[in-house]
Amino acid sequence: MDRTLLFLSTLCFFGGFCYAVYALGAKRHRSSWVNLAVMGVGFVLQSVFLYHLGQFRGRCPITDVVDIFIFLSWSMMLLYFLLGPPFRVSLLGMFTAPLVFVFQSVALLLPIEGGGATGPIDPWLEMHASVSLVAYGAFALAFVAGVMYLVQDRQLKKHHLKTLFYNLPPINLLGKSIFRLLAIGFLLLSAGIASAFAMKESPSAGHLVMTLAVWAIYGLIVLFQVWRGLGSRRMAVNAIWAFFLPLVTLWVLSRH
Amino acid sequence: MSIFCLGLNHKSAPVEIRERFVIPEKKLSAALQEVRALPGVHEAVILSTCNRMEIYAVTENRKDGVRLLRDYLQSHFQLSSRERELFYLHEELEVARHLFRVASGLDSMVLGETEVFGQVKKAYHAAHSERTTARNLNKLFQWSFRVGKTVRSGTHITKGSTSVGSVAVDLAEKIFGDLRHCQVMIIGAGEMSRRTAKSLLSRGASSIFVSNRSHDRAVELAREMDGVAIRFDDWVQAIPEVDIMITSTAAPHTFIHVDKIEEAMRLRRGRPLFVIDIAVPRDVDPDINDIDSVYLYDIDALETIAAEGRRKREKQIHLCEGLIEEQLEDWDFAAGTGTGDSQKDDPGEEEKDLRDLSPAHD
Repeated sequence: MDRTLLFLSTLCFFGGFCYAVYALGAKRHRSSWVNLAVMGVGFVLQSVFLYHLGQFRGRCPITDVVDIFIFLSWSMMLLYFLLGPPFRVSLLGMFTAPLVFVFQSVALLLPIEGGGATGPIDPWLEMHASVSLVAYGAFALAFVAGVMYLVQDRQLKKHHLKTLFYNLPPINLLGKSIFRLLAIGFLLLSAGIASAFAMKESPSAGHLVMTLAVWAIYGLIVLFQVWRGLGSRRMAVNAIWAFFLPLVTLWVLSRH
Repeated sequence: MSIFCLGLNHKSAPVEIRERFVIPEKKLSAALQEVRALPGVHEAVILSTCNRMEIYAVTENRKDGVRLLRDYLQSHFQLSSRERELFYLHEELEVARHLFRVASGLDSMVLGETEVFGQVKKAYHAAHSERTTARNLNKLFQWSFRVGKTVRSGTHITKGSTSVGSVAVDLAEKIFGDLRHCQVMIIGAGEMSRRTAKSLLSRGASSIFVSNRSHDRAVELAREMDGVAIRFDDWVQAIPEVDIMITSTAAPHTFIHVDKIEEAMRLRRGRPLFVIDIAVPRDVDPDINDIDSVYLYDIDALETIAAEGRRKREKQIHLCEGLIEEQLEDWDFAAGTGTGDSQKDDPGEEEKDLRDLSPAHD
């Protein structure tokens, strides 16, 4: 399958990332709209490629590791554009683009295996997989926001305010964004798991255990935040380490 | 025709002298007409701020014009012969260089401040309304607006905070974003905390609590800032509601400790608390900075950031001067040949910008 669009979109994300690094280095604080435009083009190309991949697969394109990396990148970009007010979008290139760039680069290096769907399509399976991946996209963004939070928190605590500090969104809003992303991700994952119970073919025990583990971990983080009102710093740390669990889950599931 | 500028500013004269030369807005028209009525004076603009008073004039003969203006100032402000010499004089191209530096904030007490740009515009518009400007000063002032904009947008001369108060306010905005939902508490009714709180209110902070050992003083200050006075024994109870706490008491030792703040933070459910300790000796135990979501800045921390801001602005000076020199060459050429695009007498396009500028001080 032709991957030119995916390559061009990856190039856009890399370009956006480079531009953001340059803008920070050159202390040009008004770079956000150029950065946003490059990211926007990348997102459009990514969406068109995903559409073609869906046509090729004859189903929601989440059948192998390549599909998963691309779909995860797309859901991250979608959530960021939907959730992020302009000031947050200005940091898209700096914090989100590297992650998306890495995911898509891996997808470019690996061969696209298999072909279109051979048997009948189970809509519950499609829903389970796609909604769960969008949830993982939300967790990925919570990870990104968590890193941004800790960078800013450290500079504020140490009183060493570097250029990056002035480009970050207010720490209070970052804290709220992390919670919102974790809560959205948890709700979407809950919907994904619920739809799995309606699938014609039950998922394997391993798949079920791993997904439930991810669900339980994020559920506990969200629950503790609502119940005990943990500090935002602790929530940011939780959002960072917890994200490795969905990554491991995706890696393991993609091998089966 | 000769163009010159006669004036004084914070560098050439102390405040006790400068304050005598402030021309209030309501008296500016009369002053402009008086200057314009002097023999041989064709054009005049008076720039009067708390840090400078300058008269830009175009006269038939430079020497006579300067003498006449000095005489006018001497009689108008009852100057002694020594005070008469406090005024600096810029002539021809130096007038343009000086005005471009003023409009760019390079000649201000706070390097790179932007308010002076609005004050220059106001001075010019006042003169234009009084019809005391014509081709020469119209061209010069309109060119200075262009230079001011170029310098501000082409360099970082306006970036960063340069005073303890502005650092505190900027940090508050970096922590909370929009200050409209932020509540401020002052503990100790010192002048610096009062000013910082006022700056926070001017940036949108929603309400203010004032606590002081002398409750009467707290009530007085709360009334002045449209806030609420709370008794000194009760300030701890207010912390869960407060986002920014400014302390500046004369207490000989710290009285805001980790246990009190930790207890309050449990009720704040992760919302940050910004603590500004301006007191010397300090009011706040430095260990509270280790509490999650608490950010403590004492006077030294704020001053260090302000000094860094000033240093960064100073590093921009040569860049600004370069831009001004480039503009000066263009202006000199345009003024000499009469091809400058600022020949129009109508300053209409500048009015929109003027409306956006605050009437704060140079």
